[in-house]
Amino acid sequence: MSGTITLESVTKHFPGGVVAVNDLSLEVQPGEFLVLVGPSGCGKTTALRMVAGLEEVTSGQIRINDRIVTRLPPRDRDIAMVFQNYALYAHMTVRNNMAFGLKMARMPKQEIRSRVDEAAAMLGLDDLLNRKPRQLSGGQRQRVAMGRAIVREPAAFLMDEPLSNLDAKLRVEMRGEIIRVQRRIAAPTLYVTHDQTEAMTMGDRVAILRDGLLQQLGTPDEVYDRPVNAFVAGFIGSPSMNLVPATLERAGDGLAVAFAGARIPLPAEALSGRPDLAGQAGRPLTVGLRPEDFGRPGGAEVEVEVTRLESLGSELVAYLTPAGTQDGPLLTARLDRGETLVQGETARVTVDARRLYFFDAETGAALGSGGTPG
Amino acid sequence: MITTPGMRVAKIVAIVLIVVWSVGPIVLGVTTSISTQREVNSIPSHWVPRNPTLQAYRDLLNGSTGQTTGGTVTRGGDFVHAMTNSAEIALGAAALTLIVSTMAAYALGRLRFRLSGAVLALLIGTLVIPIFVIVIGLFQVMANAQLIDTKRGLILVFVATQSPLATWLLYAQVREMPHEPEEAALIDGCRRWQAFVRVVVPQMSSGIAAVAAIIVLSVWGEFLIPLLLTSTMSAKPVTVLITEYVGKYTTNYPILAAAGVLALIPPAVLALVLNKRITGMLAGSS
Amino acid sequence: MRLWRQGEGDRSAREAQILGWLFVVPAVAVVGALILYPLVTGFKQSIRSGGFLFGEKPGYVGLRNYRDVIHDPTSQSAMRHTVEYVLVAVSLEILLGIAVAVTLHRVFRGRGFVLAVLILPWALPSVVSGVLWRRVFDPDNGMLNSVLLQLHVISQPHVWLASGRGAIIYITLVHVWGVLPLISLIFLAGLQSIPEEVYSASAVDGAGPWRQFRYVTLPLLRPSVAIALTVGTLLAISIFDEIYVLNGTALNTRSILIQVYNTTFVTADFAHGTALAFLLAAVTAAFGAIYALALRRATV
Repeated sequence: MSGTITLESVTKHFPGGVVAVNDLSLEVQPGEFLVLVGPSGCGKTTALRMVAGLEEVTSGQIRINDRIVTRLPPRDRDIAMVFQNYALYAHMTVRNNMAFGLKMARMPKQEIRSRVDEAAAMLGLDDLLNRKPRQLSGGQRQRVAMGRAIVREPAAFLMDEPLSNLDAKLRVEMRGEIIRVQRRIAAPTLYVTHDQTEAMTMGDRVAILRDGLLQQLGTPDEVYDRPVNAFVAGFIGSPSMNLVPATLERAGDGLAVAFAGARIPLPAEALSGRPDLAGQAGRPLTVGLRPEDFGRPGGAEVEVEVTRLESLGSELVAYLTPAGTQDGPLLTARLDRGETLVQGETARVTVDARRLYFFDAETGAALGSGGTPG
Repeated sequence: MITTPGMRVAKIVAIVLIVVWSVGPIVLGVTTSISTQREVNSIPSHWVPRNPTLQAYRDLLNGSTGQTTGGTVTRGGDFVHAMTNSAEIALGAAALTLIVSTMAAYALGRLRFRLSGAVLALLIGTLVIPIFVIVIGLFQVMANAQLIDTKRGLILVFVATQSPLATWLLYAQVREMPHEPEEAALIDGCRRWQAFVRVVVPQMSSGIAAVAAIIVLSVWGEFLIPLLLTSTMSAKPVTVLITEYVGKYTTNYPILAAAGVLALIPPAVLALVLNKRITGMLAGSS
Repeated sequence: MRLWRQGEGDRSAREAQILGWLFVVPAVAVVGALILYPLVTGFKQSIRSGGFLFGEKPGYVGLRNYRDVIHDPTSQSAMRHTVEYVLVAVSLEILLGIAVAVTLHRVFRGRGFVLAVLILPWALPSVVSGVLWRRVFDPDNGMLNSVLLQLHVISQPHVWLASGRGAIIYITLVHVWGVLPLISLIFLAGLQSIPEEVYSASAVDGAGPWRQFRYVTLPLLRPSVAIALTVGTLLAISIFDEIYVLNGTALNTRSILIQVYNTTFVTADFAHGTALAFLLAAVTAAFGAIYALALRRATV
């Protein structure tokens, strides 16, 4: 197991006053696959390019394997990078594309040859070594870009949306491929994407970035189950979490959450882990419901109007409005395909009240800890 | 488009006229060059020679006296010498201009260095200076540097006159080029200049070829500058030599045409071979 | 201004900074030494006396040389000729250029060949064009005379290049032969930028081919016309090679540039030669500016 990638209070100001990355600190552990995810323009690519040395750092420090590289040019950082559009050298064969970095490092020819052959075998590129990039398909180019990165045996891997130019099917295939290769190389990897599915399926840990600020850093389960704020909660998970304005009311001994005409009493289990929630009674807040937490047995029943139904074959996505509300919030629910709902009619669906999320209405910060997994 | 038969005929006629207009004078030059002076001078003149001959080419290449060739004196070897001068000057100027301009275009388009905007404005600004206002001053600069009547001198002058346009055309190309291959090279261990040589220049190769062709064509056709800056065969290009074959009172048309035909072969071949790239670049740049 | 853009002492930034300068130095040096410096020395000469050659002490004379040149009858006639060259050349180039472009715009079999052949005259040295066309205008047995005699349009051979205005038209024709390909390509690019839907729409509205051309094509070609006017004028205003080859420095066809050449390098009067050259440059710049404005208006 080799090195780490460390960012310490890294900040990037662009001319004109734009703060692309604001005081970002994180560490990619030895062998770890860390995904930096966020909407476009959140600063994730800028952060990656600073680690690569392609963008100057305004302040803060970057270390690779505990070596300070903040001001070093890319060639002295011992890194490899895979670009979104592959960035292959169009005038070189696949073999020379992969060998280029090694040639620059003045490695003996014999060694270059064996390394390239080994990487090509790992990626299934053996038969394409003498082709030019333009003779390759998108997926093959992607593999060459990977191969070019791994032959260098760098201290760290950087990947900038490497799958976004591929079609959906190939993308799923290459996800597994990249993880397999990374596990074999076992170098710390910083991977940038805007696609939360990619982040959740590939990352050992996920860092969510918004407007240059790190929102949350954790394992996929952590960020899914215990999002620190409404932004993370809404960003992670597909379809997105329903976020609805609500109030917390006292109901006898316990609490109930009221939103858009519906009223759901909170069971004791929902409150046990979150003692401070009681203090919020009477105040406006935002309640979060995951689409997948609808329709489970044992939940509280809510009367809804079925606005639209989409069948995905394996499951049913229903768009629901609480009954009796004119322009109430549209709730998305992922239901079992066996559910018998009819578009345009009212129905009763269950909501798993133990799995509700609560956020401050103004700051969006999570109130109490998130719902318990189970 | 709906076309009437009348329009189709008109279009065919127009196409034929365009072809005749474009190649007619060239064909006439070829037929004249294989005529004897007697046939050219007969009244009415023979446009297509009845007895084709290569005598004019022999006179041109081997030399002839004014007596036998109607006022035009040719010296053996001069024409070939002038052709090689033209070739050396055009190729030398093109090669140097491309080196100078590709570097400048890359620096201006990619490396944001201090005062780069001013340098760009200076180079592009020179594009609007008509060449004729500098020739007189240029003549004196070259005389002082003892570069009059040397191929070196002419090459330098053409590098100066061609660089602004070449830099502008290549600069436009640099701006459109993706950054990533270059950045990949930097990560792969290149210094900036190594990335330029090994990745950027190959990436620009088709644009560089088109600009090279445009430079060679325009330098090959240059007349006023070499007319002023050369005096002997040591640097005289073919355009200047040809005008010397034009007799004051009578002109030997076959020799003149033979010289014209030989002098047009290199640019014509270049234009036909690279025609798509040249037309693309010309239409795009104006 | 700061020396480094950002991140003082950043090694890649410093590398880009130094390399940037290294890479532009050759271009700046050669352009400075062989264009800008001669421009300045040339201008200095145009405001100094001609020197001992004319029995004068060299010295600053202000705009006297410019006044001399403007009042000199030979220069005046060269100016008139140049105006004629420009007018004839540019109007022919615009008309023929649009005609060629309209003809070659739509795809037909052999279009690639015609386009390749079309640019040939542009690729040839203008000196060679002059040589090729000389035989057409030769007074004794040129093509023009033979054809016209055989058709009985004229009764005896005509000395084409000796006549006044006629000679200028013939020389302009040779000039147009070399420039027309470029102008045609400009219009061709302009036509290609007109979307096909515009024609479909106007056809639906009932416009025939001529009305389409008049009310759709021409107005949309206005930017191309402005570019073609600029390119055509700048090339014609400095006409030299074709005149030199076809008629030498003869007075009846002398352009401003031939006059500059004659003044400077035949009579060795550098002062007046440069003054005339700078005068021409000023006019050229004015035309360039006017057309640039017209182009902006046409594109906005």
